[in-house]
Amino acid sequence: MGRATTIPFGPQHAAFLEPLNVTLTLEEEKVVGAVLNQGYNHRGMEHALSLDYRKSQYISERVCGICSFHHSTAYCQGLESIYGIDVPERGRLIRTIMMECQRLTSHLLALGHIAESVGYENLFMQCFRERELVMTLVNRISGNRVHYSMNVAGGVKRDISPEGLKDIQATMSRLRPRLRELHRVFSRDRTLSKRTKGIGVLSNQAAREWGNVGPVSRASGIPRDIRQDGFAAYSMVKFSPIVREEGDCYARMMVRMDECLQSMDIIEQCLPLIKDGPVAIQMKGHPKGEAYSRVEAPRGELVYFIRANGKTALERIKLRTPALMNVASLLAMLPGCQLADVPTITVSVDPCICCTDR
Amino acid sequence: MSMLTSSIKNLFSRPFTTRYPKVPADLPPGNRGRVLYDMSRCIFCRKCERSCPTVAIITDRDAKTQTVIRHRCIGCNTCVEVCPTETITMVQEYSRPDTAPTVNVFSLDLPRHEYRIEHLPRHDGRKKD
Repeated sequence: MGRATTIPFGPQHAAFLEPLNVTLTLEEEKVVGAVLNQGYNHRGMEHALSLDYRKSQYISERVCGICSFHHSTAYCQGLESIYGIDVPERGRLIRTIMMECQRLTSHLLALGHIAESVGYENLFMQCFRERELVMTLVNRISGNRVHYSMNVAGGVKRDISPEGLKDIQATMSRLRPRLRELHRVFSRDRTLSKRTKGIGVLSNQAAREWGNVGPVSRASGIPRDIRQDGFAAYSMVKFSPIVREEGDCYARMMVRMDECLQSMDIIEQCLPLIKDGPVAIQMKGHPKGEAYSRVEAPRGELVYFIRANGKTALERIKLRTPALMNVASLLAMLPGCQLADVPTITVSVDPCICCTDR
Repeated sequence: MSMLTSSIKNLFSRPFTTRYPKVPADLPPGNRGRVLYDMSRCIFCRKCERSCPTVAIITDRDAKTQTVIRHRCIGCNTCVEVCPTETITMVQEYSRPDTAPTVNVFSLDLPRHEYRIEHLPRHDGRKKD
């Protein structure tokens, strides 16, 4: 046995878009230990969110740029349950459509990122080209590519016109053959499967112990999807969580790819359900009470806890982001793997450091 | 090998990207770029100043000016929605990049949607009380 070497992986690394540090202990090329250092991107979001509840939906969008609409939906749902009101059906459906559009952009980004980390630059560019279709679609609907600014407590403030609904339908029909093609490449390509199959295995038991959420837990055989609880308009559409049993990088990649196709199904199911009506309810007075709100963000279960005491400032707001749970489970995946596989494994959990550090 | 068909197709298709600074960006009609004031309509009610989530608007009732701190504005459309007299409009185009923090001062003596650009000291973007 050779002498153990310690090397830092990150905070600045070609595989990471954001700063995260994993200190690896190596014997030859094999990883025998890993220590996770987080907090490079801490911005004090929980305090900033509690300053003024009327303006916090815009700050909650800025917790994370890739799941911004999920963050603001979780925040607004929390306030709505404190007020004890139900959002109109049209508002809920619009929220669902926008959340699924964002899931498409997020998953395509994650898939492209995995392809890039194994050195498959061509597929990375393909993923981002198809992602651009969805990005321009949400730009036409909401007026911005990343921060939609559509959510308000009580519903959504920007309605989708009949032309917009047709536009969504047309974009989905254009996107479907392209995503099928991507699905074919991801599932059959030999280069990809050699770099991802059997790498970074997370067993079902380990996934439960580390508290994994979202695609990472579903790739390890845990059929848990918060969308089945039926928040927003998910109770009105039919779908079942995509589960795989292998628990390796390949399974995590394919769960995301299948969820992209599922997201398009959900959007197409939502479109005919939209009927004329109000999109939001006006709320009166300051909120008083506490609420616990959950949504299924692209990376998994996102939890907001809000406690309000009848003033403009909230007493406490607590976020539990999915990336925090999934990044921590890297410590279970990394030991035993080769150094060259570390980028693929870290990227396969889709680490969002904005969410993790807040 | 499974990428081969896509790669060959891409070889003979036109580029997906555009030459952005030479060709203007393809912005959709409802794009939230930046806000402009029509000062002849403004009643200085300060609703926009109070509703702005990033404190990007300063209303001066005495000097009859509205000041927008450009680098603070997040284009959330809130001021446009609360304005009772439709003074504020959101336009498609984004504001130009700057090397120092700038403010756009809208005042009554300037034509509609025109503004005066002033530079701020680097350390602070807010007006002193």
